Amino acid sequence: MSNININVKHVTRIEGHGNIVVNATEGKVEKVQWQVPEAPRFFEAMVRGRKFDDIQTIVSRICGICSISHSLVATKAVENALGLKVTEQVDDLRLLMHFSEQLQSHVLHVGYLVAPDLFGAKSVVPLVSVAPDTVKTIVGAHRVANEMSELLAGRITHPITLIPGGMSKIPTEKELRQLQETLKATVAPLVTICEVVLSVAAGLPNFERDTEYVSLKRDNDYAFYHGDIASTDGFTAPVAEWESVANEYVSPQSTAKWAKWHRKSYMAGALARFNNNAENISPLGKTVADMFGLKKGCCNPFMNNVAQLAECAHVVEASIGLIDKILTRGLKNEQPDKNYKPGTGFAAVEAPRGILFHKYEFDKNLECVAANMCIPTNQNHANIQHDFEKFVPEFMDKGEDVLRQGLEMLVRAYDPCVSCSTHYLDVEFVH
Amino acid sequence: MTGMSMSKKDVIVLGLGNPLMADEGIGTVVVEKLGAYQEKYPDVEFMDAGAGGMQLLHYIAGRKKAVIIDCAFMGEAAGTIRRFTTDEVKTVKKLAHLSLHEVDILSVITLSKQLGECPDEVVFFGIEPVSVEDGMELSEKLKCSIDEYLNMIIEELR
Repeated sequence: MSNININVKHVTRIEGHGNIVVNATEGKVEKVQWQVPEAPRFFEAMVRGRKFDDIQTIVSRICGICSISHSLVATKAVENALGLKVTEQVDDLRLLMHFSEQLQSHVLHVGYLVAPDLFGAKSVVPLVSVAPDTVKTIVGAHRVANEMSELLAGRITHPITLIPGGMSKIPTEKELRQLQETLKATVAPLVTICEVVLSVAAGLPNFERDTEYVSLKRDNDYAFYHGDIASTDGFTAPVAEWESVANEYVSPQSTAKWAKWHRKSYMAGALARFNNNAENISPLGKTVADMFGLKKGCCNPFMNNVAQLAECAHVVEASIGLIDKILTRGLKNEQPDKNYKPGTGFAAVEAPRGILFHKYEFDKNLECVAANMCIPTNQNHANIQHDFEKFVPEFMDKGEDVLRQGLEMLVRAYDPCVSCSTHYLDVEFVH
Repeated sequence: MTGMSMSKKDVIVLGLGNPLMADEGIGTVVVEKLGAYQEKYPDVEFMDAGAGGMQLLHYIAGRKKAVIIDCAFMGEAAGTIRRFTTDEVKTVKKLAHLSLHEVDILSVITLSKQLGECPDEVVFFGIEPVSVEDGMELSEKLKCSIDEYLNMIIEELR
């Protein structure tokens, strides 16, 4: 058996991404590592000394893809810390905003990053010439999700309508009805996207590893925004105990922290949500899951992409119903709760790539004195490593190129959030 | 396409970047200051697009002109602002293609062209950084040059 030496290093001028290292000699695996050399970001330090109502604005800049999730969890945690209550209307509008980001992020991931893999294209740009109609459908669905975010959050990324205790601006009834019609018209294109992905889904590796899946869970809900922390190993914990769920620790091969709960690692994300909440997914979400044979208990990490598609269908259907609920109750002009009582608080939401925790402490001046945040990708790093350790021996006989491609696809399947901090240009002048 | 979009202005000025990464956030700082010129330029939309990357595709779709302000490594002296179009540069940015979070803005323009929805005119204002690292403050060099940046971009809008 030939030797294998994979050393995929992705460290650019500023950003560290993730390195894949595999060494094997005559079929004997010597080293398998998922390394994350990303520089620490110090967000916890950046919010210290800031007023309570600056926090959600600052932390929304942690990520350009899931800025709504960071703003929402920060706002919830600040409200928890200060004893603020929000109305049912605010809660529902925030959930609708949250759904918009799930749709936005999942369509972007499956359409722009996973589909090119399955079609054998290097990225979405060359995919246009291979499958122009498919790309146009994907871009159209992504555009709907963006416009939904813009309506609810005030702009597509980095929300400006969230304030502790309420919202600074809400949509009109006409705008919500228009959004509802747009979402209804998005069902058919979404099904088309699912059918296209299904037609090339044989490209998803057949790989399974028994895994603990961790996500929010709540009775009669496919939990994205409320609920307790649940594990597919049968454990639950209140969000207040999140630090003893994530159990963050340092690994010598990574600058990002790793996490573990009952086993040596766990997985967060769409597949974790599906495995904990599948009985509550919407009818169309179930139809999509069934199309691909995705069933509760699935432990193929590549199926995370399929769970994302099922969740796209779910959030579109759930949003259509939620708009009815909001409008049946009638939109009210509400003032935010300003009865601030300094203290410590925490919250969790499901970001598109998994459960996200924030915790803050405020002094009597309502300034932040301590913060702690735990992002889903950090919770997944150890699990990626353990998937690698099983994947490499199983796929080693397919040769180095196939193995490298499989490992890169495996990382992409987790939809990781590494180095989202910068979008600078790096150019040379040709004229 | 969706029927949700309000009528778009012909020209959009986008500030890109992350204000948590020092000079990388220069685009967002400049576009915020350009907001003060809104009354003078009612047909121009000024937008802090933050670190949204691929969202740029949707912001520019169907416009006549897009002006993009971003931190750029161009091999110039720190603080230099340079106007260029996509024809005048080639990207040397290396992407790992491991996550959605790595975006080369020039490839978004290519995609927009392929989809037939790119503005006729796309103009970049690249600003060479002193420092791209954790921090919410711009370098002194860039801070002191903001008026120069504003004047140059306003000139583009005349």
